[in-house]
Amino acid sequence: MELSVFDLSKHLGVAPNTIERWIRQGKLPVSKKGTNYRFQSNELSKWALRNNINLDLTDKETPEKIQESNIALSDAVQNGGVYCNIKGNDVNSVLKACLEKISEIPDDFKADLLERLIEREKALSTGIGKGIAIPHPREQLSYLKHPMISVCFLDQPVDYKALDNQPVSVLFFIFCPVLKLHLHLLSVLSFCLRDSRFTGFLKSNPDPIALIEKIKILQKANPI
Amino acid sequence: MPAIKNWYKTVYQRLFHLDDRLLLIIAGSIAGICSGLAAVVLRLSLESVLEWLHPFRHYGWAFIFPAVGALLSSFYLEKIAREGAGHGVPEVIYSVSRYGGLLRFRSSYSRLISSFLTIGSGGSAGPEAPVVMSGSAIGSSIAKFLSLNDRQRITLVGCGTAGAIASIFNAPIAGLVFSIEVILGEWKFVNIIPIAIAAVAGAQVSQAIIPERVLFFHQPFQVGFPDVLACLCLAVVTAMISVLFTKVLRQTGKIAKKSAFPLWGRAFIGGCTVGIIGMFMPVVLAEGYSFIQSMISGTFSMGLFLAFVAVFAKIFATAMTLGWGGSGGIFAPCLLIGSLTGIVFHKMLFALFPTVGCASEGAYALLGMTGIISGVMQAPLTGIFLIVEITGGYETILPLIVVSSISSTMSHYIEPASFYFKELIERGQFLRPGTDARILSDLNIRELIETEFVTVSENMVFRKFIELLKTSGQNFFPVIEDGSDEYKGMIQISGIRRYALDPGMYDMIFLNQIMDTEVITASLENDLQEVLDMMDINNMDSIPIVENDQFIGMISKTRVLDLYRRELIVQTSVH
Repeated sequence: MELSVFDLSKHLGVAPNTIERWIRQGKLPVSKKGTNYRFQSNELSKWALRNNINLDLTDKETPEKIQESNIALSDAVQNGGVYCNIKGNDVNSVLKACLEKISEIPDDFKADLLERLIEREKALSTGIGKGIAIPHPREQLSYLKHPMISVCFLDQPVDYKALDNQPVSVLFFIFCPVLKLHLHLLSVLSFCLRDSRFTGFLKSNPDPIALIEKIKILQKANPI
Repeated sequence: MPAIKNWYKTVYQRLFHLDDRLLLIIAGSIAGICSGLAAVVLRLSLESVLEWLHPFRHYGWAFIFPAVGALLSSFYLEKIAREGAGHGVPEVIYSVSRYGGLLRFRSSYSRLISSFLTIGSGGSAGPEAPVVMSGSAIGSSIAKFLSLNDRQRITLVGCGTAGAIASIFNAPIAGLVFSIEVILGEWKFVNIIPIAIAAVAGAQVSQAIIPERVLFFHQPFQVGFPDVLACLCLAVVTAMISVLFTKVLRQTGKIAKKSAFPLWGRAFIGGCTVGIIGMFMPVVLAEGYSFIQSMISGTFSMGLFLAFVAVFAKIFATAMTLGWGGSGGIFAPCLLIGSLTGIVFHKMLFALFPTVGCASEGAYALLGMTGIISGVMQAPLTGIFLIVEITGGYETILPLIVVSSISSTMSHYIEPASFYFKELIERGQFLRPGTDARILSDLNIRELIETEFVTVSENMVFRKFIELLKTSGQNFFPVIEDGSDEYKGMIQISGIRRYALDPGMYDMIFLNQIMDTEVITASLENDLQEVLDMMDINNMDSIPIVENDQFIGMISKTRVLDLYRRELIVQTSVH
């Protein structure tokens, strides 16, 4: 196989100028064809071996960027479901009542998950203000098939020790099998919740279909 | 007593600390004399034991001699001296490049004894490499006694080597050239003078004890133009033979290592083989100086075919001796193979062109020796000067240079590493001064590591981390477990940018959710070469060093470049 100065500079990860200087200094096994310098790959491999240089002459296929398997917020909400009229008067009882309602979580895991959610709230409240909280466990739930966000509207606002001390009435539960999706959903969700029109819309206790439609519109306007 | 001590102290300081060249010259000449003595002792004792064994040679059971010799030799090295077999030159080279020439005092006599046993009993090997090992160990021990630094010790190791070679061949310049070309690998002004003096001292010792002035005496040769042409062909032949010799030596060594026999058993088998070959062809036995002498003076009796076979028999016998556990060098076998090749070549030349008036057989024996020495060691200067000196004649210098340069170039083309270096290169221990490998092996992780890092807990809330970030210049934050301080992962600023610019995330995540747990880590045990390779393969600019699950620090390429450059300047500076 024959290589040009440019090819070799790519393989070695140096500038073509460097290759030209090395040719001038007589450091490379090179042959001249007309005005062009050509390299023979087998001689180059020998040269690299002798000089202890890592040289891989096989054509490197640029590794395909691993498509980040992101999920749209609306799909996550569809997976998780929307639940209304949840009763309870403090954080723990609200969380418990919500979990009982969320049908996508297998019953066997609910007790454990509740503990983890409470633990997370103890470490730091997930109330982000404006009457909204994003409860989630710190460890990811590998038993879930899909990432999901369950939206729960409370009967009465409860004191959630949120940053702005406002009582919370809407909970966005994030349950994810992998950390990457969790961070993605968290970031998308927090972006949406900064939109005051959206938070205002949430206050009106919308029905599930309307909520998902609204999220879809927001998503389209701000693709992340 | 205190007066003497004071006086000694003053003299020592005045004389030596003022100028270490003087110290090196004096210590070097002592090293030269001692190693010269060692060489003479080995040569004389070999001569007498071979003389003593000679009458028994024609008995049928005499083939057992080399076997017993090799057995005792390997037993001695393994059990009593506790040193590896082999010829020792790579060990000396490695010690010079890695440990500043530090060698054990024991080495200064152990190889002499083991090679005496191997060669004295008839094993096919040379006494030169053991003498080199012994000379360099003497030099190293003198340096240790005077508590000198590495640089001075290396010079003294060179002095010991030069003295040994100079003494055994009675060839001071060859001693100097061999020491610098093969052992030290750098021509430095400060080295050359002490080594030259040591070489002369070694040669003088040998002359004072052994009366004959040159190792191989010869009549003057008449070298004409046809010889120079013939030399071109001879050079090609010697290059082939030297490559063959190197390959056979290495292959037999590998086969022996694979065999299931214990070390002494291997040596015994190797010795027996050599003994049996020696029954039919005594020319392969021992170091063969007397045969070389007869070839040079033209009294060698073998015919063309026999001599041709003898070349390969000697190659095989040497490989069986050295590869299977005997102790000794390849210098003398090279000389013998070379002179045999020369003779064969001359005889063929004579058969093909009987009318061309070319030089005598002896001259071709000399040229053949140069060819093999230069080809096997790929040290052309050593080849030329050695032959010129051991024969005491300059009349063959032109063909000598032709043969030497062509042979070393050709064998270098086929086998880029010489016999001495091949082993070291394979083990990654070939570290010539001023080379990348040498600098990387000298710098170690502990010198390069940066430890000034603020660590963060895995349970830290992201908002707190952002606060920390505002006042910190750090780009990498190691994340550790609370309580146990165990390393968990890394946070790299460039990797968390999308979260850091999103205030909605600040209170939602903890550091263990965004840390990178898949960062490749190195440990303090890795050497720099490995660490740099890891960084290259994974495209990293910095690599965390983690030892026993504890974060120790980081190595960054910028720091490596800084220290690498400084190291290069220091190592290649003119003293």
